[in-house]
Amino acid sequence: MIIPMLILVLTFAWVLSHMMTVSPITNKLAGLVDAEVIQAELERVGYYDPWYVQLGLYYKNFFTGDWGKSYVIRDQVPVIDVILEIYPRTIELMIIPIVLSPFLAVKLGLSSAKHKDKSKDIFIRALAIFGAGFPVFWIATLLQLTFGYYLEIFTYGALDFPVVFANTPGMKYPAPAGRFKTGFRIIDSFLYNDQLYLWDTLIRLILPALCVTFVSLAAITRQTRSSMLDVLDQDYIRTARAKGVIEKDVINKHALRNALLPTSNLIIGGTATALLGSFFIEVTFDYKGFGYYMVRSIFLGDYLVINGLLVFSTVILLTGTLVADVMYTIIDPRITYT
Amino acid sequence: MTEQSYKKAIAYQEQEPESYRKKHLKRFLKFYLTPGWRDPEFLSQEYQIDKIKSKRRRFRRLLRPLTLLGIVMIIFILILAVYTPWLTPYTIDELTIPYIPPGEKPFDAPSAVHLLGTTKYGYDVLARIIWGARTTILMALIPVSISIGGGLILGTISAYFGGTVDYLMMRFVDLMYGFPNLVLVIILVPILGQQLFTSLVIYGFLFIPYRIRFMRSLALQVKQLEFIEAAKTGGAQKFKVMFKHIIPNAISPMVIAFFGGAAVAVLGLAGLAFIGFGDPTVASWGTDINWARATFSNVNAAFWPGLLIGITSIGFMLVGDGLRDALDPRLSL
Repeated sequence: MIIPMLILVLTFAWVLSHMMTVSPITNKLAGLVDAEVIQAELERVGYYDPWYVQLGLYYKNFFTGDWGKSYVIRDQVPVIDVILEIYPRTIELMIIPIVLSPFLAVKLGLSSAKHKDKSKDIFIRALAIFGAGFPVFWIATLLQLTFGYYLEIFTYGALDFPVVFANTPGMKYPAPAGRFKTGFRIIDSFLYNDQLYLWDTLIRLILPALCVTFVSLAAITRQTRSSMLDVLDQDYIRTARAKGVIEKDVINKHALRNALLPTSNLIIGGTATALLGSFFIEVTFDYKGFGYYMVRSIFLGDYLVINGLLVFSTVILLTGTLVADVMYTIIDPRITYT
Repeated sequence: MTEQSYKKAIAYQEQEPESYRKKHLKRFLKFYLTPGWRDPEFLSQEYQIDKIKSKRRRFRRLLRPLTLLGIVMIIFILILAVYTPWLTPYTIDELTIPYIPPGEKPFDAPSAVHLLGTTKYGYDVLARIIWGARTTILMALIPVSISIGGGLILGTISAYFGGTVDYLMMRFVDLMYGFPNLVLVIILVPILGQQLFTSLVIYGFLFIPYRIRFMRSLALQVKQLEFIEAAKTGGAQKFKVMFKHIIPNAISPMVIAFFGGAAVAVLGLAGLAFIGFGDPTVASWGTDINWARATFSNVNAAFWPGLLIGITSIGFMLVGDGLRDALDPRLSL
């Protein structure tokens, strides 16, 4: 299923880049109005080739590992290199929410369902509906304002890049000197034993990671609560209680396992989406990860980068679906794929 | 309904049915909800049944405090959207891109003239918020109507015909499931043009596959019931079976999904505007936040639009939850 999907996605991405109205040529040669220069550039990149030549070349290059070179964003850097550079950043940002939020959310949803209509439940529901209803970027902006601007505990920019705010401090401490780098800042700082760099990285990661965790927490908590309440109404729970099973086992063994089925769908889907980075968080905090580059490349019409990122994200989503199918058989032994 | 009101209804029937009914239409509205109310005998039977039931559970369940809060929130936004010209002296042309108000300082603090200060280019924040309500109501209704409508029809067709049609449809749905949806919206909107309606329609169409799969599973359940068989045996045409028998019996989860979808659509489209792909010729709350996030001189410009986005989506969510509790007896939250 994955291979035909991939070819379809490739074709689709190619069609999309054909329909694009933003011209990368004008963005690249900004300021030049000389018609001849633009004409020559158009001919050089193969604008006047027939479409089947372009499409065939695209397939051939894609499967031989040549994903093209970034045209506007980074001058002539291969797209694969761009992805390899920016992707560790997104993983670094998302690893905390991915690990933390399912556990926390299932716990919260469980206790909310157990203490239905008590003050605990009302508090958790209010929290969940706040996180699910208010836009992420608004929460992020408010956090930025409070902790970055008024209290000055954290910075409101991202890593060591120039940012839109003129007064944002960059990274205080430079990256450790060394030939070998993984791209993960935290791992790098451990490799070279650079505590200041580690601290600097962490303090910039806390606010965005907090936002992402909060939002994904809200969705999973709501789902867990409703499916848990649904399950607790079932006959087999009454049977278990009538048999004299202690309440802890009723919840953890009988109810939770069944309630987790719809929730696991959300968790795995959320993980796959989180791996693509949250556009809103990355744009708000100027965190130059996957989502940020996607938005930039669409703005500037850098279609090879767009295609690369789109295909890459599709591969991740498809892998996520595959993992979800496998996980289903583990969680629910009744399901078999033959 | 109480005993009295039933007796009244029966009495009305016996006296002067036509003229009285026309005169007091409002009083009769509630009786229209009772099936067969025109027949006095049937009505009294219905009354006995209702007495045994002792309460109208559906409406009682619907009117819970949280659901009422949601309805109040939606009505508040609707009032902002409907009575816009009365609430603010500004017109939409004075608040959008080509026009730049002379002599106004951008991102100014609140003053007597501008109650919530000004935003980029010196537009009035309060006026933009009030005008943004119209955009948001459109954002909530149009995409979800498209996706639910398309999903309803295509899903029913897929479930009813089965075979090749079903197979092709499901492969298409699988294909669309593979794409990251929000990414696709963000790519497609700048390509196809940034007008508000284009983005709404794109958003609606991209969510059709999810609705198809949902509707198909609902329609497959209904399809196996006896009355479908009876209708077929009676010689009903295919489309009549689909639209008069299957859809009305499978529609209630879709109606609930409408409200949840509206909340998601408001958030998603506001996010689209926030990233910078919004229509510059309409007042949109997402664009407001985008403009105001980089400056700290007027916090109101970023705070209030986001709060209102939250109010809208939470309102839709609460109403959706309330409807699900009322209509879906299986789930009791």
